Amino acid sequence: MDRFRFVLYRPLQLLPVLLGISIITFVLIRSIPGDPARLLLGTKSTPEAIARIRAQFGLDEPLWVQYLYFLKNLFNGEMGTSILYRIDVVRLIGERIGPTLSLVLGSVILAIAIAVPLATAAARNRGSLIDHTIRIISTAGLGFPAFWLGIMLIILFSVKFDMFPVSGYGDGFADRLHHMVLPCLTVALALSAVLTRNLRASMIAELSSDHATAARARGLPEGMVFWRHVLPNSLVPTINLLAVNIGWLIGGTVVVETVFSLPGMGQLLVRGIFTRDYMVVQGVAMAFACAAVLINFLADILTAAADPRVKI
Amino acid sequence: MKKHYRTTVSAVALFAGLVLAGAAAEAAGTLTIGRREDGTTFDPIKSAQNVDFWVFSNVYDVLVRVDKSGTKLEPGLAESWEVSPDGLVYTFKMRDAKFEDGSPITAEDAAFTLTRIRDNPGSLWADTYTVIKTAEAKDDKTLVVTLNQATAPFLATLAMPGVSVISKKAIESIGEEAYAEKPMASGAFSLVEWKRGDRVVLKKNPNFWEADRVKLDGVEWISLVDDNTRMLKLQAGEIDCSIFVPFSKVAELKQDGNLNIMLDPSTREDHLLINHEHAPFDKKAVREALDHAIDKQAIVDTVTFGVGKVANSYIPEGALYHNPNNLQRAYDPEKAKQLLKDAGVEGLTVNHIVNAGDTVDEQIAILLQQQLAKAGITLNLQKMDPSQTWQTEVDGNFDTAVNYWTNDIIDPDQKTTFVLGHDANMNYMTRYKNEKVKDLVAAARVEADPQKREAMYMEIQTIAKDDVHWIDLYYSPYINGCRKNVTDFYQNPLGRFFLEDTDKS
Repeated sequence: MDRFRFVLYRPLQLLPVLLGISIITFVLIRSIPGDPARLLLGTKSTPEAIARIRAQFGLDEPLWVQYLYFLKNLFNGEMGTSILYRIDVVRLIGERIGPTLSLVLGSVILAIAIAVPLATAAARNRGSLIDHTIRIISTAGLGFPAFWLGIMLIILFSVKFDMFPVSGYGDGFADRLHHMVLPCLTVALALSAVLTRNLRASMIAELSSDHATAARARGLPEGMVFWRHVLPNSLVPTINLLAVNIGWLIGGTVVVETVFSLPGMGQLLVRGIFTRDYMVVQGVAMAFACAAVLINFLADILTAAADPRVKI
Repeated sequence: MKKHYRTTVSAVALFAGLVLAGAAAEAAGTLTIGRREDGTTFDPIKSAQNVDFWVFSNVYDVLVRVDKSGTKLEPGLAESWEVSPDGLVYTFKMRDAKFEDGSPITAEDAAFTLTRIRDNPGSLWADTYTVIKTAEAKDDKTLVVTLNQATAPFLATLAMPGVSVISKKAIESIGEEAYAEKPMASGAFSLVEWKRGDRVVLKKNPNFWEADRVKLDGVEWISLVDDNTRMLKLQAGEIDCSIFVPFSKVAELKQDGNLNIMLDPSTREDHLLINHEHAPFDKKAVREALDHAIDKQAIVDTVTFGVGKVANSYIPEGALYHNPNNLQRAYDPEKAKQLLKDAGVEGLTVNHIVNAGDTVDEQIAILLQQQLAKAGITLNLQKMDPSQTWQTEVDGNFDTAVNYWTNDIIDPDQKTTFVLGHDANMNYMTRYKNEKVKDLVAAARVEADPQKREAMYMEIQTIAKDDVHWIDLYYSPYINGCRKNVTDFYQNPLGRFFLEDTDKS
C-alpha cells in the first residue's frame, strides 16, 4: 500500500498553496481602484459618511492588519461580514453553494454521457466519415462562448419549443432537475468537446496496446475487448483531465449562472467584485480554491486506485 | 443488451416527465417581476440601493408619501400635520393604522424610526436627518419633531424609503440583524420568504390601512441579471413584468402582441461632467464651445432610439421647479471653433472617461468623439471598469465623463446642494465654483414661501447654465414591460412602483 502514502503528506503540502492563494486574492481585490464604502453609499454620499462606513468595516486599518484579521478569521472558520449584505460570509456562501454544486456535478455527468459514446464511435471507426464529423463537432463545441450558447439554447428550447424554463433554480427535486438541464448542457457541450478528443486518443492507444492484442489472441470478440479492456483503461487519463479542468469549469459557472439566473456562488462573486465587497470576494475565492485543491487530491487517489503502476 | 434497452427507455421517460413538469401553472393573483439584482436587506436605514427601495415601498409605509406624479406630497401614516410659524416644530397626527401582526402603528414607532436613522452607527442616511433636533411621541397619536433650523425640504425627506416606519417593539425584541431578514410590514405587502440572490416573495398584508386598495394576492421580485434572459423570460410568459428594458429592445418588444411596453416619466438626467480645474476648462468660453459642439438630438436618436428627450437643465422636466425656458445652446460646430479661437485655445484635446462594457456609455463616447472632431476638438477615450470611474472622478483625474442622477425626493434641494452648493464633494466632482450660486442654494433651502423659492431655483438654473457647470444631455423615461393581462403597473418619477394599484387578470 506504499503508493497511498501520499494521502498522508499531500494535505500538508497543500497548506502553503492555500496560504498563497489567500494572499493573492487579498491583494488582487484591493489593488483594483474603487472603494466599497463609496459604492455602498451611492453617488449621493458625503465624505464624512464614507469615512464612517470605512471605519465600521475596518477598511481604515493598515493593509497588513486587515490581512491578519482575515487570516485569524480563516483559522476560526470565519470569513468576516459582507459589506453589502451585512451578514456572515460563511452563511452567504452556504446559501449559494447548492446551485453551483448542482451545476458542476450535472455538467460533468452530462459531459461524460456525451463524450463516451462519441469518443467510442470515433475511436472504433478511426479515419472514417464518423470520426471526422465528430472531430468537427467537438472543435466547434469548444469555440462557442458560454454566454452566447446559453442564450441560443434558451431561444430554441424555452422560447420556441417551450420544453424547459428560461432561467431560475426551481423548487423541489424534479423541478430543479428540469431547471438545470439547459445550464448543465451549456457547460457540458464545451466540456464534452475536450473530453471526446482526449478520450478518443487514449482509446486508440489502448486499442493497439499489447493487452488488447493479447485479449484478441485469446479469442475475445472485439466488443468484449473494448468494454473490458479498452474503455476502463482509457478512463484513467480522463479523470485527471477533468480534475485539471475543474478551475476552468468553476470559471464557466460564473458566466452560466448569470445567463440562467442561478443564485449560486459565481453570481455572488461577480456582485462581490462589482461592489468591492472584499470579504465576499475573498471568501468565495478561498472556497473555490479549496474545492479545486480537494478535487485534484481526490483525482490522485482515484488514479492510484485505478492503476497499480501509478506512483505519486 | 436488454439492460441497455431498459436504461434508454427510462431516460426517455424521465426526459418526458421533465418537459411536462415545466407546464405547471402558477398561482393566480401573484405578480412576478423580473429585475436585474436582488435586494440586500430589509433594514431601511442600511441601504442606498434602488433595488431595496422598490421593495421597501411595498413592505413599509412612510409618514408622508409622494403622489403618482412625483411632484406632490400626500398624507401617509401621518394623517395631517402642522408647522410652527418659525418653521422649527412639526406636529404630526398619526393615522389609525396597524402593522401586519395587528399591533397599532403609534407615534412612538414613528419617533423611534426618525431618531434611529439619525443616530444608528449603521445608518447610511444620517447626514440627511441631522437637521432633526428631537422627535418625540406626545401620545400614541401625536408626533412632535423639532428641527435645529428651518428647512424647506424637510417634509419631502420624510417620504424617502430610508424612513420607512418600523416597529420599535419588534426590532427591539428580535434584534436588528434578524429584523433585516424578517421585517414587520407597515405597508401593502408582507414578506413571506426571501431567498437571497434569487427572489423576494411577498403576500398581501390584510392589516394594511389601505388593504381595500390592494388587488394582488402577492408579488414576487425575481433576480434576472442578464438583460437578454430577463426579456426572453417575459416573452416566454414565465414572468408577468420585466423592468429596465434596454433602449435597444423597445422597438422589438413593442412588436410582441402579448406585451405592453410602458415609458413612465422619470427624473433621470444624463449629463457630461467637466473638470473645471483642468485648464483650459476653467475658461467659460471653452466650456461653452463644448456645449455648442455637441449635437444632443443625435445622441437621443442613436443612444435612446428616440425615447429620450434633449435636456436643458439639471432639474429634470416634470420635476418641481424645472425651468422650461432655460437656455439651450444650439448645435453649431462653427461657433464652437470661433469661441475656441477667440479664447486662444488651439488643438484642444479632452480626456474622456468611458465605463467599459456599458453599451450606452460607449455609444455616447463615440458620438461625442465624432461631433467634437467637427469643431477641431480631439476626444481621447479612457476606458475603465464602472466601479472605478467614480473614484477617478472624485480624484479629479479626468476632463469629461458622462454621468446621471435620479431624484430621491421631490424637492430640488438634494440635487441642487450636491451639484451646485456643496464644497465637500467639489460640486459633484466638477470643481465648479460660483459663490453667488452657493449662497442662493443655501437661501433657497430655508425659504418658506414656495413662490419665492421657485423664483430662486429658476435663477440658479439660469446662472448654472450660463456658467456651463456641466453639459445637460438628455432626460429618459423608465422603461418597463408587462404581459397584456397586467394593468396599472406604474413607476412614478422618483422610481416608486405603485403595486398597491396593480392588477392581474
